[in-house]
Amino acid sequence: MQPSAISFLPSVIGPHRSSKKYSVILSGAERAKQSSAQPKDPYKLIYPIGRVQAFSQVTAALLVLLVAALATTSSLAQNAIALKGGRLLTVTHGTIENGTIVMQGDKITAVGPARSVTIPANAQVVDVTGMTIYPGLIDSETQLGLTEINAEQMTNDLVELSDEIMPHMHVYDAFHAESALIPVSRLNGITNAIVAPESQDTIPGQDSFIQLAGRDATEMLLIRDIAMPINFTGDQRRNKGGFDKRKFPSTRMGLIAQMRQALLDARDYQAKWADYERKKSEGPAPGEDKTKGADKSKEDKSKKSPPMAPKRDLKLEALLPYLDGKKTIVLAAENPSDLETIVHFANEFHLKFVLNHISHSQPVLDYVASLKVPVIVGPIYEAPKDDERYDAVYSLPAQLYKRGVKIAFASYSAHNVRNLPDAAGFATAFGLPYDEALKAITLNPAEIWGVADKLGSLDAGKTANVVVANGDPLDMKTDVKQVYIEGKAIPMTSRQTHLRDEYSK
Amino acid sequence: MHRFARLVTLLCVATAITFAAGQSSGHRDVVIRNATVMTVSHGNIKNGSVYIRDGKIAAVAEAVSVPAGATVIDAQGKYLTPGIVDSHSHIALDDDVNEATSPVTPQMIMKDAFDYQDKAIYRALAGGVTTSLLLHGSANMIGGQAVVIKHKFGDKRDQLLFPSAPGSIKFASGENPKRVYGGRDQLPSTRMGNFAVQRAALVEAQDYMKEWDVYNDKVRRGDKDASPPKHDLKLEALADVLRGKLMVQIHCYRSDEMLTEMAMAKEFGYNLRAFHHALEAYKIADQLAANNVGIATFADWWGYKNEAWDAIPWNAVMAMRKGVRVAIKSDSEDYTRRLNQEAAKTIRYGGATEEEALKMITINPAWIIGVDDRVGSIDVGKDADLVIWDGHPLSSTGVPSKVLIDGEVYFDRSLPGFGTTHYKEGE
Repeated sequence: MQPSAISFLPSVIGPHRSSKKYSVILSGAERAKQSSAQPKDPYKLIYPIGRVQAFSQVTAALLVLLVAALATTSSLAQNAIALKGGRLLTVTHGTIENGTIVMQGDKITAVGPARSVTIPANAQVVDVTGMTIYPGLIDSETQLGLTEINAEQMTNDLVELSDEIMPHMHVYDAFHAESALIPVSRLNGITNAIVAPESQDTIPGQDSFIQLAGRDATEMLLIRDIAMPINFTGDQRRNKGGFDKRKFPSTRMGLIAQMRQALLDARDYQAKWADYERKKSEGPAPGEDKTKGADKSKEDKSKKSPPMAPKRDLKLEALLPYLDGKKTIVLAAENPSDLETIVHFANEFHLKFVLNHISHSQPVLDYVASLKVPVIVGPIYEAPKDDERYDAVYSLPAQLYKRGVKIAFASYSAHNVRNLPDAAGFATAFGLPYDEALKAITLNPAEIWGVADKLGSLDAGKTANVVVANGDPLDMKTDVKQVYIEGKAIPMTSRQTHLRDEYSK
Repeated sequence: MHRFARLVTLLCVATAITFAAGQSSGHRDVVIRNATVMTVSHGNIKNGSVYIRDGKIAAVAEAVSVPAGATVIDAQGKYLTPGIVDSHSHIALDDDVNEATSPVTPQMIMKDAFDYQDKAIYRALAGGVTTSLLLHGSANMIGGQAVVIKHKFGDKRDQLLFPSAPGSIKFASGENPKRVYGGRDQLPSTRMGNFAVQRAALVEAQDYMKEWDVYNDKVRRGDKDASPPKHDLKLEALADVLRGKLMVQIHCYRSDEMLTEMAMAKEFGYNLRAFHHALEAYKIADQLAANNVGIATFADWWGYKNEAWDAIPWNAVMAMRKGVRVAIKSDSEDYTRRLNQEAAKTIRYGGATEEEALKMITINPAWIIGVDDRVGSIDVGKDADLVIWDGHPLSSTGVPSKVLIDGEVYFDRSLPGFGTTHYKEGE
C-alpha cells in the first residue's frame, strides 16, 4: 500500500487516481451490495466513490483503504464494462438505437446493436436504457490548468508578456493537474482539450493536448507541444496608453516585421547547426596527430580548427519544427485584412496551419474555403460589429460548413469549458446540421489534432472515453450521468458538487 | 366578369390594408394565433391565442374572436412567451458605468448616460429581451440611480424609457470597491472600510433629513426667519433611499456580506430589493427568503475572482426551493442575448420545471425591477411584450422568431438586414 493511496479519497475533486484502485471499488463486494440496494438506478453502480464520500467519516476512508489494499491486482482493472441498451451516437457510423458498447482496459472493444454485440462473461453490465451515449468531447482551445481564479494573479500562468515572440514557453511547464476546474469540466463530458497560452503575444508559446483525468500531469499531458499559436488580431500591439507609453511593436507592421525577423533568425540558426553537424561528422583531417608536440601551434594555424558548436538559443530552437512544417501553427485572426495578412505571412515561410477565430471574416469565406484548412471557429458568442446583423457570428459555423470547411468548436475558456457543447447546439439554430455540430466537438478536432485513431468516435479500438447522459449532448438541459476516461468510471464529483451537498444537508 | 373579379380582389386587398392599419375601429388590434402560449402565471395553452388591444394584452385563451381589422400573426404552433426581462445590465451606457471618483455617488442618474442608439439594445432585442434594468457598476459602495428601458430599438429616446418605472439605486460591496479605492490608497480598502463608508453616508443622510425636518417645522410654525438648509443632491438621493422611494439593488457575492447588508437595511429601514450576483445565496437562502430579498444571479459563472470561488450552478434552484425570488441576469452584453439558454441550465442544475426556469427571466426579474404588475407574464392588462420562438425557448436551439413590445413587432428574424422594423440600417 503506497502512502499516496490515502490521498485519492478526498482528492477526487482533483484528477482521478490510480485505475486499479478505482476498479477495486467498482467491482468489489461493495458494488454488489449497492446494486441490490439501488436496483432502479444503474448509475448508483458506477459512481460508488460519491456514495462512499457521503459517509464522510473516517470509517469510510478506512473502508476504502482496506478494499484498495485487498485488491491491487491488475486483473480486476482489465474487467470489461458493457453499457447496454443505450442510444449510441457513434459519430462515424450513425446512431444506434438500443445499442451496446463494451470497454475493456482503456479501449472500446465493441460497438453495435444490443442484439449483435457479445458481452464478455466477466463484464460489469450497466443498463443504460433511455440514456444517450457519445464519445468524450474535445475542446480545441482552453486554458485549463493555467489559471484557478482569474483575478488572483498568483493563480494565473496564462501568458508571458515580457516579449511578443515566446515559442519556448511550454504550457506543460505550468499545467496544474490538480486544478479544481478540471473535474468541473469533465463532469459535462469534456474528456480532452487543447491547452493554449492566452493570445496577447503573437507567439505566446506552445500548446499541449490533455486528457481530463490521470494520476498526475504526466498522465494527463497526452501530447506536449502539439501546436503553436500565431495571433494576429490587433490585440498583440503594444500600443496601450499614450505615445510615450508605446513600445515596439505597436503596429501590425511592427508585429509582422518582428515575426519575420524571428523566423529568418531561426532559419539562420538552423543553418549554423547544420553546418556544425556537417563539419563535426567530417571529423579531424586524416593523419592528424594531436599528441605531437613541438611545432603544434605552427601546424594548427595551417589546418582547420575543430568545429565550434553554436550557442544554443531556446527561442529559435522552438521555432524549428514549425519552420520545417512538421507541426501545426494555429493561425488566429478575426478581420478579413488581418486574416489575409497572416495567411500570406504563413505561406511566405511555408508553414503548416489551421485557422482560429475568423469571427468577422464573413466577407471572405470563399477565400477561407480555398485555403483548404480546418477552422477553429468562434467563439460564436463574439459580439458582431455594429454594422453586422445580430447573428453574423452565430451563423459562421454553418457558413463555413456550407463551403466544405472542416470546423471545430472551442470554449476559449478555463472555467466555462463545460459549456462547449452548448455552442455547438446553438450553431444548429443558425443552420449547422446537427451531425456536423456533434462532429465539430468530437471527430473533427480529433482529426485536426492528429488523434483520430484514438479519439473522437465510438469505434472498437479507440480509447474508451465515453459519456452517458440523459439526453441530447448539445442541449444545456442534458445531465451527464457518467463519464468514462480510458475505460474508467470517473467520480462524478467536483468542488462544486461538494459545496452543493454540504449546503443541501 | 373576369375584370369584375379582379376589381373585387383589389377592393378586398385595399380593405384589408385599411383594417390592418387599425383605422376602422380606432384601436390597434393584434391577434397572435396558433401558439403554444407559456403564460408563466397560469400554465401553458396549446394552440392558444393572445389578443392585444392598443399595446396591452386584452385576452389570452385557446381561441379569441378576431376583431375586424385586427392584424393577425399566425405563430404556426411555435412557443410564445413574455418578453425577457434582464434585471442587471450595463449596455447602452458607452462605458459611463462607474463614476469611480468617489465611493458614494448616489446622485448619478444612469438615464443621463443612456445611449438609446447603442446596437447592444438591438442585439438583446434579437435575443428576446424587451425590458432591462441599466445599473451603475460596482466600483462604488453607492453607485447611482438606475434606469429601466424597453428595447424599442429604432424609436426615439423617450420611447425607450419604461414609463413611470419605480426607481432603483445600486449599492455594491466586496472586492470591487476595495480594489478601486484600495488601489489608490484611499478608503475603502477592506470590507470593514466598505461598510463604514456605506454606514457613514446613510448617517449623513439621516442628519440631512433632520435638518430639513427642523426647517420645515419652523416654516410650518410661521417662522419667517427660518433659513433653509443647503440642497445637497447626494444626500437628497440617499434621503430617498431612507424614505423608501428608491429600491436598493446590492452587488454582493459572499453570504456573510449579504447578512451584513440585510442587517444594515433593517438598521436604517430601507427597501433592500435584491442582491445581485449573490453567488453564495444557497448558503443562506432561508434568511434571504425570510427577509423577502430577491436575487439576480448567474446560471453557472464562477471562479473569475475570489468571491466567486464558491459559486455553484445549483445556486439558483437551491435558493428558489427555499422560497427566494430568483432571477437569472446577464451583467453582460453577450449573455443578455441568450438569457433563455442561461435559464434553461437551471433545469439541468437542480431540476427546475420549465415554468420555474422561465420565471427566472420574466416575472421574477420584473419583480426585482418593480414592474411585475406591468410585464413578465402573459396576463390580461399587462403590456404586450411577447416573443415568438423558433425552437423551444428553453433549449440550445431556442431563438426568437418575432419580438413584440407594447403590441408592436420590433424584431422579425425572417426580415432581411437587421430584422428590425423600427430601425433602418444607416440611420
